Amino acid sequence: MKTVLVVDDSRIMRNIVKNTFSSMNIPCQFVEASNGKQALALLDGQKFDLVLLDWNMPELSGLDFLKTVRANDRYKSLPIIMVTSEAARYNVIEALKNGATDYIIKPVNEKSFREKLSKITF
Amino acid sequence: MEKYIQPFVDVCESVFREFIGAELITERPFFADKNDPHDWDISAVIGLTGEARGAVVISMKKPLALKLTNVLTGAEHEDLDDEVIDAIGEIINIIAGNAKRGLEESFRLVISLPTIVRGKKHTIMWPNEQARIICIPFKIFETESFCLSVAIESSEGV
Repeated sequence: MKTVLVVDDSRIMRNIVKNTFSSMNIPCQFVEASNGKQALALLDGQKFDLVLLDWNMPELSGLDFLKTVRANDRYKSLPIIMVTSEAARYNVIEALKNGATDYIIKPVNEKSFREKLSKITF
Repeated sequence: MEKYIQPFVDVCESVFREFIGAELITERPFFADKNDPHDWDISAVIGLTGEARGAVVISMKKPLALKLTNVLTGAEHEDLDDEVIDAIGEIINIIAGNAKRGLEESFRLVISLPTIVRGKKHTIMWPNEQARIICIPFKIFETESFCLSVAIESSEGV
């Protein structure tokens, strides 16, 4: 079973993401973090198949998490999809330039997840 | 400043449709004064910085905050607890983040993390003196209402 790291400071959003995967019948095991710092610590001790990453979070933002992770060769091929309300094109470009695999704008739905997940053969 | 308001109206309508599953009725926006009396029970504030300064605030009464949280979580709440704060904070976060798309031709914005203010007759400390506050009233669920207040001005002056 695939293991997904869901990083979002909103517990409600983490649950919505998990429920969306359930309703798509994608069996996954989820691990949750409420900021980038927690996510970095989890990444250090466990293997993940996918990271779903919010942008605006306390402690360490999603973008700073992304920069840190992509600077480490160990995580070069780890799929990281930004899941964020930051909808401006300059935000999307900045995330992709810094190594995001793809980008989903909140509010999330099954369609957006299906489309993005199909690209990474998850 | 008024031209900056339409993206917030459009985004608010679409976010409530997609995220909450509710249609809004947008009422006539009006200029508000920060000292105007109100009877909202909870407000969620997002600060705007970057090439413009300001804030966007959603304000509502307790029953609507509880109802919106119920829609998002499936759980009943009686008080403005942490989960309600999370829900209202996420709603304003999604509105502000999506509105940046409609404003990107005018300026690049950075949005803050949401701050929640609760309590009868609570006061919002608006970050800049010059920008006028536009309040956009919305009706939802037939009998409920909330207000989206926006104050925004270019960092170089509008």
